[in-house]
Amino acid sequence: MKIQRNASIEAAQNYEVALDVSGLTKSYGKVQALRGINLQVQRGEIFGFLGPNGAGKTTTIRCLLDTIRPDGGTTRIMGLDPQEDPVGVQTRVGYLPGEMQFYDNFSAERQLRFFSDMRGSHADWSYARQLAERLVLDLKIPIKSLSKGNKQKVGVIQALMHRPQLLLLDEPTSGLDPLMQQEVLALLREANTAGTTVFFSSHIMSEAEHVAQRVAIIRTGEIVEVAETSSLTQRALHRLTIRFKQPVNGSRLEQLPGVEILSRPDDCSVVLQAAGDMEMLVRALGNFPVLDLETTRPTLEDVFLAYYKQ
Amino acid sequence: MKPFWTTFRYTFIRFRGQILGWGLGIASLGLILVPFYDIFMDQQEDFMKMLDGYPPEFLAFFGGDKTSMLTPEGYLGMYGFSMLPVIIGIFAVLAGSGLLVGDEERGRLDLILSHPVGRSSFFFGRAFAFIGATIAVLLIAWLGFSVLLGGSTMGVTWGQMALPFLPLLMQALIYGTLALLLSMLLPSRNMAAMLSALVMVASYFISSMASLNESLATISQIFPYAYYQGAEAMTNLNMTWLFGLLGVCLVMVMLAWWRFLRRDIRLSGEGSLRFWFSSPLRRKKVESV
Repeated sequence: MKIQRNASIEAAQNYEVALDVSGLTKSYGKVQALRGINLQVQRGEIFGFLGPNGAGKTTTIRCLLDTIRPDGGTTRIMGLDPQEDPVGVQTRVGYLPGEMQFYDNFSAERQLRFFSDMRGSHADWSYARQLAERLVLDLKIPIKSLSKGNKQKVGVIQALMHRPQLLLLDEPTSGLDPLMQQEVLALLREANTAGTTVFFSSHIMSEAEHVAQRVAIIRTGEIVEVAETSSLTQRALHRLTIRFKQPVNGSRLEQLPGVEILSRPDDCSVVLQAAGDMEMLVRALGNFPVLDLETTRPTLEDVFLAYYKQ
Repeated sequence: MKPFWTTFRYTFIRFRGQILGWGLGIASLGLILVPFYDIFMDQQEDFMKMLDGYPPEFLAFFGGDKTSMLTPEGYLGMYGFSMLPVIIGIFAVLAGSGLLVGDEERGRLDLILSHPVGRSSFFFGRAFAFIGATIAVLLIAWLGFSVLLGGSTMGVTWGQMALPFLPLLMQALIYGTLALLLSMLLPSRNMAAMLSALVMVASYFISSMASLNESLATISQIFPYAYYQGAEAMTNLNMTWLFGLLGVCLVMVMLAWWRFLRRDIRLSGEGSLRFWFSSPLRRKKVESV
């Protein structure tokens, strides 16, 4: 038993893959929430897990923490199996649930002390106070008097205050105002700089785009894409607005592969969408009297929506 | 051991209001009953006349008869200890059914168990806090029943007065652990509490009526109240019943623990768990959500 425990500790110290999920399945009755999730997050990464409500983001995270039991597949967190050694995993992880409920009669500080005690008093209390200051949260206020956003701040602090090796965050900026959203994302970047791997779920594409190095897109319990954020946006759809010197027949452009005309504001202009490589389109435009061409870089939102339209 | 003690400490502290409320409530009954015994004995003849007017079934229901009521244990049994299992049982059912599922249904358990506590430590920390709280309630109650004994002609010592509280503790633990086990098996806390309370009330009535109707005697044996001595324990504590009930409690706790280790923890707003044998109609309804 001791040998096994030592092996677990060693695995947790010498890992390169922070999070390794393979063939993860989970059903609720006849509803299949996860249909074989495969995912790898490297140590030191900030990884965005994107998908709309009900796609399986929360279920995946809860399987990783052993609060729900998968039906199949394997999971490793820093080399540890959450079902074999849940305490080992939970010691190293900071978790922020999507829906948070606290003890209403506790103050924010008492609630955080409670979580610290549940961690064997391993939280860095001065860091917790520092986080509260940055998030403009008065720790003396009873939980029942806090707004949803302020409760979210308590959740963020409890996830960060013990300086975990891995952060599992379920929609970390939910309920926060834009300024606080930026502050929380900054805190995540700082934690990452200090060596923490960050895995967060979101349905807000812009925050993943600003923070995540890689993202996975989940759709109805299946991962449909895992890629670097930058490559995902580069290889995706481009929107072009082209103005011509004289009226043209744009139907020739539509015959090009991957090109779709979105609108024709007038005879001398066209708004189109091009998928992937634009070389053929640019060549084809050489045969047109182009006055002006404006291209918009696709946001992750566009990419995401494109996957969901498929 | 630290997660166990942390869980125990926080849970026990959360019970403090209930400990005081239920403890003082039952203690106040003792504070009334003990001095009233002397009045009862002084006006014995009047009370006997009054009791003559009652049907003998009435006294039998409460486990006594006219002559036994003149003894301290008969008197305390009739007016106090015969009803106390139901009173302390309400506390036990509410506390037991909400011990884990209360936090789960409010959406707190998911976050708590994501901390490095371990489900076993957490379960036993809470279970022992419930046992501790029940003992604390009964300690306060015992003080209420004992503090005026010195000025009473009952001739009962504080130690003797403690003895009926042992079977009472077992009754509380039986209903509390039953509620805990049912909360692990049934879809909601309300259902677990309702079913446990049903067993408790049925147990009380069937066992009480068994002394009036012999045909109920056999069936009453399956209910916990049949093994409750009440004030009779002051003179003749039945250790077999005591340890028998303790054994049943242990079995129920272990089954609840086994189930807790294996089940998914619900999130806030997920609603009730489903029966594993839920009807196809109900399943269809859930799928369409």
